[in-house]
Amino acid sequence: MDFDVINTTTKDELLTAIEDHQDTNFRIGAGYTDLIMNLRFQPTEGMTLINIAQMKDPSFISIEEQQDHIVLGTLVTASNIVNSPLIKLEFPVLHEAALSVASTQIRNSATVGGNICNASPSADMAGALVALKAVCCVLNSKGEERIEPLASFIVGVGKTSLDKNEVLKSISIPRNSGDQLKSGFEKVGTRNSMEISIVSLAYHFQLDESGKVVDAGVSCGAVAPTIPFAESACDFMVGKDLDGLSETDKEEFAENVLKYATPISDIRASEWYRKEVLFNISQAIFD
Amino acid sequence: MKKNLKIIGKSHKKLDGKERVSGKAVYGHDIELPNMLHGAILRTKYPCANLISIDTSRAEALGGVECVITAKDIEVSNISFKRDHPVLKNGTVNCNRDEIAAVAAVTKEIANKAIRLIDVKYEVKEGVYDPIEALKEDAPRINEFGKGEEKFGNKNIAETFHYDHGDMEEQKAKSHVIVKKTYELPRVTHACMATSNITAEYSEFDGRLTLWSSTQVPFLYQRDIAHALKMDPSKIRIIQPIIGGGFGSKLDMHPFEPICALLSMKSKKPVQILFSREEEFVLSPTRQPMIITLTTGADEKGKFTFREVDIIKDNGAYTSWGATTPFVMMQTFSSLYQIPACSFDSKAVYTNNPFAGSFRGYGNPQATFALETNIDLMAEELGMSKAEIRLKNANFKGEVTGQGLHFKTCGAIPALEKVLEKSNYDQRATERKEGRYLRGVGLGSMLHVGGGAKIYRSDGCGTTLKLDDYGYLTIITGSNEIGQGSETVLAMIAMEELGIDEDKIKVINTDTDVKPWDVGVHASRTSFVAGNSLLGAIKLIKEKLSKKASELLEIESDSWTYDNGVMLANEQEIKIDKVAREIHFGSPHELCSVTYFYEPPSSFQDKEFKGDVSGNYAFASQAIEVEVDTVTGNIAVLGVHVSQDVGRVLNPVGLQGQMEGGVATGVGYALTEEMIYEEGILKNPSFHGYKILTTTDMPPVHFYPIETYDEAGPYGSKGAGEAPLIPTAAAIANAVSDAIGVRFNSLPITPEKILRALSEKKEKELVS
Amino acid sequence: MKIVFKINGKQVSMEVKPSLLLIDLIRDVLKLKGTKPGCLEGECGACSVIVDGEAINSCMYLAINVNGKEVSTIEGLTGTENPLHKVQDKMLEHGAVQCGFCTSGIVMTTKAYSDKCLEEGITPTREEVKKSLEGNLCRCTGYAKIIDAAEAVYKK
Repeated sequence: MDFDVINTTTKDELLTAIEDHQDTNFRIGAGYTDLIMNLRFQPTEGMTLINIAQMKDPSFISIEEQQDHIVLGTLVTASNIVNSPLIKLEFPVLHEAALSVASTQIRNSATVGGNICNASPSADMAGALVALKAVCCVLNSKGEERIEPLASFIVGVGKTSLDKNEVLKSISIPRNSGDQLKSGFEKVGTRNSMEISIVSLAYHFQLDESGKVVDAGVSCGAVAPTIPFAESACDFMVGKDLDGLSETDKEEFAENVLKYATPISDIRASEWYRKEVLFNISQAIFD
Repeated sequence: MKKNLKIIGKSHKKLDGKERVSGKAVYGHDIELPNMLHGAILRTKYPCANLISIDTSRAEALGGVECVITAKDIEVSNISFKRDHPVLKNGTVNCNRDEIAAVAAVTKEIANKAIRLIDVKYEVKEGVYDPIEALKEDAPRINEFGKGEEKFGNKNIAETFHYDHGDMEEQKAKSHVIVKKTYELPRVTHACMATSNITAEYSEFDGRLTLWSSTQVPFLYQRDIAHALKMDPSKIRIIQPIIGGGFGSKLDMHPFEPICALLSMKSKKPVQILFSREEEFVLSPTRQPMIITLTTGADEKGKFTFREVDIIKDNGAYTSWGATTPFVMMQTFSSLYQIPACSFDSKAVYTNNPFAGSFRGYGNPQATFALETNIDLMAEELGMSKAEIRLKNANFKGEVTGQGLHFKTCGAIPALEKVLEKSNYDQRATERKEGRYLRGVGLGSMLHVGGGAKIYRSDGCGTTLKLDDYGYLTIITGSNEIGQGSETVLAMIAMEELGIDEDKIKVINTDTDVKPWDVGVHASRTSFVAGNSLLGAIKLIKEKLSKKASELLEIESDSWTYDNGVMLANEQEIKIDKVAREIHFGSPHELCSVTYFYEPPSSFQDKEFKGDVSGNYAFASQAIEVEVDTVTGNIAVLGVHVSQDVGRVLNPVGLQGQMEGGVATGVGYALTEEMIYEEGILKNPSFHGYKILTTTDMPPVHFYPIETYDEAGPYGSKGAGEAPLIPTAAAIANAVSDAIGVRFNSLPITPEKILRALSEKKEKELVS
Repeated sequence: MKIVFKINGKQVSMEVKPSLLLIDLIRDVLKLKGTKPGCLEGECGACSVIVDGEAINSCMYLAINVNGKEVSTIEGLTGTENPLHKVQDKMLEHGAVQCGFCTSGIVMTTKAYSDKCLEEGITPTREEVKKSLEGNLCRCTGYAKIIDAAEAVYKK
C-alpha cells in the first residue's frame, strides 16, 4: 500500500479536504476494518486517504439522545453501540446486530458509518438500521446537509447515493412510540462468531399495551443487492396481536419477507438455501 | 509397571511456556539477519497450461531487486515423495500452486512488486480436476514424471496399495447383512496459526547452507534439501525456530524451501520467505480428498465378517508423503474391530488439483468416517443397538489381527464402555425427537499407532545427556517440539528419574548440527520414541553416576535412588553435582555425558503390508451429542465424550490439551471446514471463507483416559496426539443421523446440506 | 507524517509513512516481535494489541491513528516485580499454550477485557468470556484451556 493521507480532526478540515480533492482519487477512512482490505488488493499509488478516525467533532462521534430521535455519529463504533444502555433498551435489534459483528477487536474499530457506506448487503448494523427506519444525514463539502432514508441511501452492492463531494455525518433513528417491543436480529452463518451473514433478518415491532403491533420494521440482509425494507411484511403485521398469531399468519409474514429476496448463489450458500432459511427464520421469530 | 511416581502423571506447566506467553519466543517470522533479503515467488495464473515464455527483465531492472531465478537458472533435482515435482516449473504448469520464478529483494514490498513485473505467456489447457476423469483412457497425462503407465497400467496413477487377509468368499457367505456405500471426503487444511516460513543463509566460503525452517522432520528434510540442491546433506544445517503449528503440514519439503536456498546461493545473502495467509491456504498441503467405496458384512448375531474397500484418492499434480496414507487406512480397515476377512485397494490419481499432503490422523479420519457409518447402517439393518454391535466386535488384549498387528494391551472395550456410560448413551439414543431443535447422539471408535510407525528404515530417536559440574542436566534430543509439549514430557521424565529440579534441566532440540538423529514428529510418536530414548540414556548415565558414587562413598549398591539433587543408597547420600564433578575432575577424568539411540521393537511390514508396525496401539471411542436446528440447518455440538487408551497418562494437562485440540479440528472437519476448489482454483483462501472453529463454537470435551500400562512405552504410555480427531467426524455424522434420520455420506455436513435433506425427507413423506 | 504516542508506557515521537499499518510499526519499526502476524485480514486476532484500553487488530489499524494514544503490546505486560502478568501466569498454569503463535493476541484481548471488567466490577460468565475471545483463533488447543485460564483471571 502506498498513498497520501490527510488527517482531519474537525468538520471544517474534513470539508476542505473533500473540496480540495474533487479532481483526484480519494477515499475516506474511518474504522478501516473493511477499507484496509480493499486498499491492499487494489493499486493505491496516487490515491489520497482522508482520515477521519481522529475526528473530534461530537456530531461525528457521539450517540446523542434527542426528543424524537437517537442520533448516531458516523464514527460511533459497533462497541459504542453494544455498550449503550439506551440502545439496548430501545433498539434491541441494533444492539444484537452490533454484537454479532465479527469480534471484539473489530467492533472496537468498525464504525456504523463505515458499515453503511461500505454498502454490503450483509452489513449487520446497516440491516438493523434499515428495519429501524433510520435516516442518513449527509454533508457536502459546502457544509450543506441533506436527509435521506437509509433504505434508499444504499443503492447497490458497494454503492450509496453519496456524491463525490459528500460524506455521511450521522444516522437518526426515530424513537419508539409503542408500549412494548419485539425486536431482534437473526443472523445465519455456519459458525457462532466471525461470520458474515449468509442471511440476516432484522425486526422491530412496536406494540401497544394489549400486544397489538402499532409499528413494524423488517429488513433482510444478504439476499439482494441492497438491504430491502420488507414493507409488505410490515404492513401485514400492523394491527396483529403478536400473542394470537396463527401458523398461517406466521407463514404469510414469512412469504411477505421472502418477496424481497432475490439472492445469488456463491461459495457461502446457494440461492435455494438463502430463500429457504430466510423463510424459516421469518416464521420462527414468533415461536 | 504401575509404580508410584512423583512427577509423571501430575500436571506440569509447559517447560518453554514462559517464552510463549510473554511474546519472547522467536518464530520464523521474527528472525532478522544482517543484510537479509526478502524472497517472493511467482506462481502460475492457470492451473493447467504450457509455459510459452517467461520474461524477467523488468523485474531484474527494478531497484532493490538482487536476483531473479527461473527453472533455466538452476541445477536441481525433482523433489517430493515420488520425485515427480520440479522445484521451479519449466514447460508446463499442473496446478494452481506451481512456482515459475522467484525474486530476492531488499524489502518485501519490492520483492512483491518485482513478481508482478515478470511477464509470463501461457497457453492455457483444459485441466482434469476429477480423479475419475483422470483415470479414463483419453485423459491427458498430467505429470510427465509419473511412472503410472509402467508400474500401474495407467498414466495418471501415482501410487497404488493392495492388501488382503482371510477367506473373503467364506465370510461373504456367512454374512446376514451386507452394506455397500460410497463416501466422499473433502479437501481440508491445517490452517496453522503461523504461516509457512523459511530463512536461508548460504556461505560461499565453505559451501554450507543454514536453514531456519519449521520442518517437523529435520533429518529427512536435510536429506530432501540435499537431494534437491545436489549437495552433501552434512553441509546443510537445519535450525528450527519456534514452530507456530504443524499438524503434519511440515512433513514434506515444499518447493519454496529449496527456492529460498537457491536465492541465497545466488545473491550470497541471507534470504527469508514468509507466506501471506492467502498463500498459506493456496499452498500448504491438504488432507487427501477421497472417494471410499466400502462394503461390509456381519452375520445374524452382528459379528463382523468382511470388509472390501476401494479408494480413489485425489493425489493432485504431484506426489507427497500423503500418498502413503493407505498405510494407516489399511490398519483401520483390517484391524479396527475383529475382522475375519478384508481386502483393500487404493489408487492415488494425478489431477490438476493441488497436491495433498499429510495431516494429523493421516488418512484415518477418512477411513474411520466410512467405517463407523457402515457399522451404524449394519446395526440398523440388524435391528441391533449401535453400542452392542461395537462392543461385540471390539478389539481385545492379546489379539493378533489379520494384518499382524499385535495388541499386547488394548483399551478398546473399556474406552467404549466409558463413553457409553458417561454420555448416558442408551437413554439419549432412545429419546423422542420433536420440535425445532432435534438432538442426537453418535458413536465413533478408532485404532491408531501408539508406538511410532516403521515406515522409514529407522523409526528411532537419539538422546545425548550432559550432566555438568553444577548438577544441571542438558537433554539433547533428536525429537522436536512443535507445540505439543514434548520438551515438557522429556523434562518430567528426567526429573522423575534423576531427581533434578526443573530449573536445572535444559532441552536442546533445534539444531541438526548438534542433536542426534530422529525421524521426526509424526505418527503420534514423539513422547513414545523420544521418551524411551531418554530413558535409555538415563539408564546409562545412572550407571556412570552410581559407579562413581559407590566409589566415593565406599559402598556397594545397585539400587540408588535419586531425589532432590541427591543420590541415596544404603542410607548414605551424596549430591549428584558432586558426583558429576568427581567424574570430571577425578581420575580417570571423564565427562558425565552419555549418548543412546532407541529403535522401537516394531517391524518393517512385508510386501503384503503385514507385520507389527508399531511399538503399541492406541484405541479410542467418542460419543458425541448434537443438536440440529431444523430452521437454519445449523448443528450445535453439545458435548464430546472422549475415552482413549493412552497406556499411561504422563502429563495430564498436556494430554487434555491434545484431546481438546484434536476434537476441535475433528468438529471442523465434520461441520465447517472445506477448501472450495473450482477448476483447480481455490475460492476461499482466507480465515473468512475457510472456517475453523472459534471460541463460541467449541463444545465441552470430557476426557476419560484409559490406562493399560503397555510395557513398550515410557512408563506404559502410548502415543496420543492424532487420535482425538480421528473418530470425531464419524461420531458427529452418526449423531446427526440419529437426530434427523438422514445419512450423510460426505463432509462437511453444512447447514445447507441439512436443510436440503430435511426438505427432501419432507417431500418423500408427503408422497408416501 | 509525524506521530507522538505512548508505547508500553514510554512516550515516542517519530515520522511514519502514512500508509504504514500499526502491526508493521510495532514489528518492523519498533522491533517488538511479540505481536504476531497471523492473517493480516482481521480474522485471527494474533496481532491484537491494546490502544487506549481497547483491544484492536493491529493489522487493520493505520499507524498514524495511534497519534496521541497509548499502545500496549505483549512486551509491555512483563513487569519488573513479577516477570509475568496475571493473565500470562494463568495461561501458563492452565495449559492454554501449545504452539503459542496465537497466545500474544489472546493475552492482550484478555488483558483488555479483564481491565474493563475490573473497572466495572463485573465477573463475566463463561459464555461472556468465550464471546470476548471470539476474534482470537487458535488451531492447537480447542480453546477450552484458554477459556479456563481467562476465567481464572476474572476470579480474583
